[in-house]
Formats: sequence, structure tokens, C-alpha cells
Amino acid sequence: MFFAGLFAIYFTLRSTSPELWAAETPKLNVPYALTNTIILVASSFTAQFGVFAAERLQAKRTGWNPVKWGMVEWFFASYALGAIFVTGQVFEYANLVSENVSLASNSYGSAFYLTTGFHALHVTGGLIAMLLIIGRAYSVKNFGHKEATSTIVVSYYWHFVDVVWIGLFLVIYVLK
Amino acid sequence: MNTNAKLFWILCGFFVLADIAYTVWSIVVHNAGYLTQLAGVQAPGTDPGSPVEWAGTLAIGLSAIMSAFIAFYLGRSHRSVGGELPEDRLDANIDDGDAEQGFFSPWSWWPVMLAAGGALLFMGIAIGIWLAFIGVAVTAISLVGWVYEYYRGNFAR
Repeated sequence: MFFAGLFAIYFTLRSTSPELWAAETPKLNVPYALTNTIILVASSFTAQFGVFAAERLQAKRTGWNPVKWGMVEWFFASYALGAIFVTGQVFEYANLVSENVSLASNSYGSAFYLTTGFHALHVTGGLIAMLLIIGRAYSVKNFGHKEATSTIVVSYYWHFVDVVWIGLFLVIYVLK
Repeated sequence: MNTNAKLFWILCGFFVLADIAYTVWSIVVHNAGYLTQLAGVQAPGTDPGSPVEWAGTLAIGLSAIMSAFIAFYLGRSHRSVGGELPEDRLDANIDDGDAEQGFFSPWSWWPVMLAAGGALLFMGIAIGIWLAFIGVAVTAISLVGWVYEYYRGNFAR
């Protein structure tokens, strides 16, 4: 519902001031954002492999081969990919600010930073949740159903945040 | 689970019928308005608009599709997992359907601490950023405290 509201802000401003979009959207670096998107989608896949490992009640790896990875290794991989995504967002923001697109520059800037910024905050929250889940796996002697359930719950959240980004990417970078 | 699936298929069928009725009815009402226009009541030259009321037609139609989604999912789950729920039995009591509630702490100070931390954090953002740093510290400590409350001390497993 929250992101639906943000999308509504974006669409409303887009329909009332199309000339602003014509002027500002060429400043977006679409190949860069596409790379970042692929990194985030990949993190959803690694998170899902972590869930499969958690459903086997396997917390840690039995070998270096990814087939033998446990939940912890897959979630560390997801964490790394998610962290690369947020870092990429920060660099993208820095580039856009240097081209005079800021939160206060005009309504395009406000809509862009509100939608992508709140998404980045949600990703950051998911990263913290992953660390807490990894910590739980280390704090128990036997990885049980309770830990597996919390792993699955965090993965649901992560997939949701990922799907929202796919929507944001299509609207902001592809449709413009 | 079979009963649940059937209930949602019935709901889907109801929405399909309701959608057809709604669409036909709105066309009939619209045409009645069109007749008054011919009689000169409606201002001439105004656009009579679409004879179908799209907002309601789409909303009820989507309700049918979403009911079908849930019914299909429940049917597939029933086929792969099986299992007889209290809903499937005629002799079941209401409390047989009590869901597994999971584990809840009988009492805990951590949620209170977390709320205080969050309040300090956002109050700090609003009135003075120095307060937000204290809020971040309290939030971080109570979040970790809550998540690991049953993972240490007496409860360590």
C-alpha cells in the first residue's frame, strides 16, 4: 500500500508536468541501473537457495561447493549482493546530484528520490534482518524449525522488496 | 482443505455471475438514460460515455480471478500435501480449527525499549539531531535484545 502511494505520486506528477520528465530522464544512467537491478534479482535467488538449505535444517556448509552450502553461506552471499545494490544506489545518487537532480530541485527529483530512497531504506532493513538471522544460526547448537521459519519469513520480505524494485525500475528507467 | 478449495470455487462462480449481472444492469440503466437524452431531457451534444461501467466491472471480475487463484492454490496444496482439516469433517468442533499460534514471549521489556528507541530516533530527526544518535543506540540495543531474547542465558539452545 505504501509503495502504491509512492507510485501514485510519481504517476500524478508525470501526468501534470511531462516537460519536466523530458528534461530530466535523459540524465538517468539506464545500463548502470540495469546492472544494479540484475544484482538485486540475483540476491533474491541466493536468498531462496538459503531458504532451501534452511528447509533441509542445514545451517552451515559441508564443503566449498555451492551445492553443499548451508543457509548461512547463502545469506552472506545475499547480504553481499544487497549491499552492492545499496552502494550502487549511493553512487547513482551522487552522480545525479552532480547533474542538479536533487530532492529539492523539482518535482521530478522529489518523486525519484522518494520512490527509490524509500526502497533503498527497505533494502537496508532487509540487510539488517539477514544479519540477525545469520546471528541466530550461529547462536544455536541445533538449527531447528524455529530458525528455519524466521529464515523463510525474512526471505519473503526480501522477495517483496525485490519485486517492488522491478516495478520501480520498469516505471522509472524503462517507461520514463 | 478440499472444502476450503470448493468454497473459493463457489465464491469465484458467485463473482462471475455478479459481474455479468452488474455489467448487464449498468448497460440497461445507461440505455435508459440514453432514451431520456433522445426525449430531450439530457443536454444535446453531450457525450453519453461508455455503456459499460468499467470500474465496477473490472473490480468484480478481478475478485473472481483472485478467488480462482486461491481455490487453485488450495486444490494443488491438497493434492500434494493431503491432510484432512476440521473444515472437511461434519463432526468437527469450532476449537478443532484453532491455528498453531507459534511461540510468544509471556512477557518482555524489549518491545517497550524498542518503542522508546524509535520514538527518540524520530523525535531527534524532528527537533534536534543529537537526540537521534541516542535513539539509534537504544534502537539497536533493544532490537538485538528482542531478536536474541530466547537465544541466550537460560534459553540458550
